[in-house]
Amino acid sequence: MKRIIIDAEKCDGCKNCSIACMEAHRDQRGGGLYTVDLLDPAIESRNVIVLDRKGAYTPIFCRHCDEPECVLACMSGAMHRDKESGHIMYDEERCAACFMCVMNCPYGVLKPDRATGTRVIKCDFCANDNDEPNCVNSCPKRAIFIEEVV
Amino acid sequence: MRHVIIGAGPAGINAAKTIRGMRPDDEIVVISKDKYVHSRCMLHKYISGERNERTVDFADENFFETERIEWKSEVAVTGIDAAGKKIICDKGDMTYDKLLIATGADSVIPPIGAMRAAPNVFGLRNLDDAQKIRGLAANAKKVVIVGAGLVGMDAAYALLELGKTVSVVEMMTCVMAINMDAYAAGAYQKRFEDAGCSFYLGKKVCGTGTSGDLVTSIELESGESLECDMVIVAVGVRPSVGFLAGSGIEVERSVKVDAHLRTNDPDVYAAGDAAGLSGIWPNAVKQGVTAAKNMCGENVTYDDIYALKNTVNFFGLATLSIGINAPEDGDHVEIREDRRNYKRVIMRNKTVKGILLQGDIRYSGFWQHLVKNEINVSDIKKSVFDITYGDFYGVDARGQYEWRVSA
Repeated sequence: MKRIIIDAEKCDGCKNCSIACMEAHRDQRGGGLYTVDLLDPAIESRNVIVLDRKGAYTPIFCRHCDEPECVLACMSGAMHRDKESGHIMYDEERCAACFMCVMNCPYGVLKPDRATGTRVIKCDFCANDNDEPNCVNSCPKRAIFIEEVV
Repeated sequence: MRHVIIGAGPAGINAAKTIRGMRPDDEIVVISKDKYVHSRCMLHKYISGERNERTVDFADENFFETERIEWKSEVAVTGIDAAGKKIICDKGDMTYDKLLIATGADSVIPPIGAMRAAPNVFGLRNLDDAQKIRGLAANAKKVVIVGAGLVGMDAAYALLELGKTVSVVEMMTCVMAINMDAYAAGAYQKRFEDAGCSFYLGKKVCGTGTSGDLVTSIELESGESLECDMVIVAVGVRPSVGFLAGSGIEVERSVKVDAHLRTNDPDVYAAGDAAGLSGIWPNAVKQGVTAAKNMCGENVTYDDIYALKNTVNFFGLATLSIGINAPEDGDHVEIREDRRNYKRVIMRNKTVKGILLQGDIRYSGFWQHLVKNEINVSDIKKSVFDITYGDFYGVDARGQYEWRVSA
């Protein structure tokens, strides 16, 4: 399985990854980061950078865990592991918006969507793109990069 | 090796899936009373018509075919002969090498008035309950719901969607009292009332009025009488273990299991509500997986017994609750509130004993780990409400997160 590996030491908190994520999840692709409406609640970022207790940057990205607590918590079958890619995928059609996955993620990665409160915002590894995830492509410090993990 | 699993709920289905993953060639049989695999957490969406028999299914598509599992649906297990490794069913007996009891629980209908016998009084536990409710709802105008826990509120929500006149009776003085405090509960009560629901809180049901077999009113100790065409009782459940009498398998209120989820018989396991360890979905899934691994010869214990956790989402208002819900003497309570949010934390010594978030529950999953493991937060110099997973951030060699907690 491919995983986005994080080297938090290298992160300088520029949030390019978050804007890239928003860019990857808007209907109209193309135009680059500078045309992303940062206030559009419909395309909120799947990743976030927060400050730890000492003020250091900690990039919070879905790990597509080996033992995914979000999948265990899902009572609708919406959260599942894709057999081909190994990634944890979210099927909005099946989701019943109970948000037990939000509660069960031990790292607080998941969230209900801000626009409707009826779905979950979850990294999809930019599955619809034939490229690396947009966040990875946009990181100027190579603080996030793809590695095959077994 | 022949593995038989009784029950097609979260524990049973995930056990079957786990066994198949570990043992490609073993025989796996799932027996269920139900005709359809269904998530009981979505039954209210079946009643409201938002979902059907197919869309309340939580298993993967074509699960039984893909995983090569034999599914015997609409089969009732009436007994077990553990010594003879035999399952006694209404449609013929079966044998097993390893058995998992994942039969779940049944609704409790208290013996008040005609409640237990009346054909218009239902629990809300299985799809067939929801089917009967939906069927009768077509001609019902007034519905009384007994119990304002999550299941009762789910039922109320569904019936309000159908345009019914809904009254909810609850002994506690607020709705969903197990899940939240009175203030947070009040926000939901208001939304339900705005949708037309009436509440009778702090009140007890003492009798029923009848016409023929049917219950036509619910009588309260206060003297009030609530007319009804249908009653839904949501006051709790009891592990579904009656069929184990005389089986040789030890049962108390639920099936007695050790840390490996093994019963007194080394080839028989139990998981989910039948094992009585905790009544919430994620734990049932984990127990099913744990039991399955042990059935395949691994040596795994079930440790995650923490069940003081839940989420609620009605009318676009989400609430997350982890840990204790009522502060004790000496506890320190902090509240942070704005127009859209209510947050309450209960601190004891240097740890968080309970967190309640209503409104914005983004990024909140880490609280469970923090509360469950009684992690010291006194060395974090900011408001407890501003703590994030970032304060415990760590990445392991495989790129997965891990919790870093200073001693």
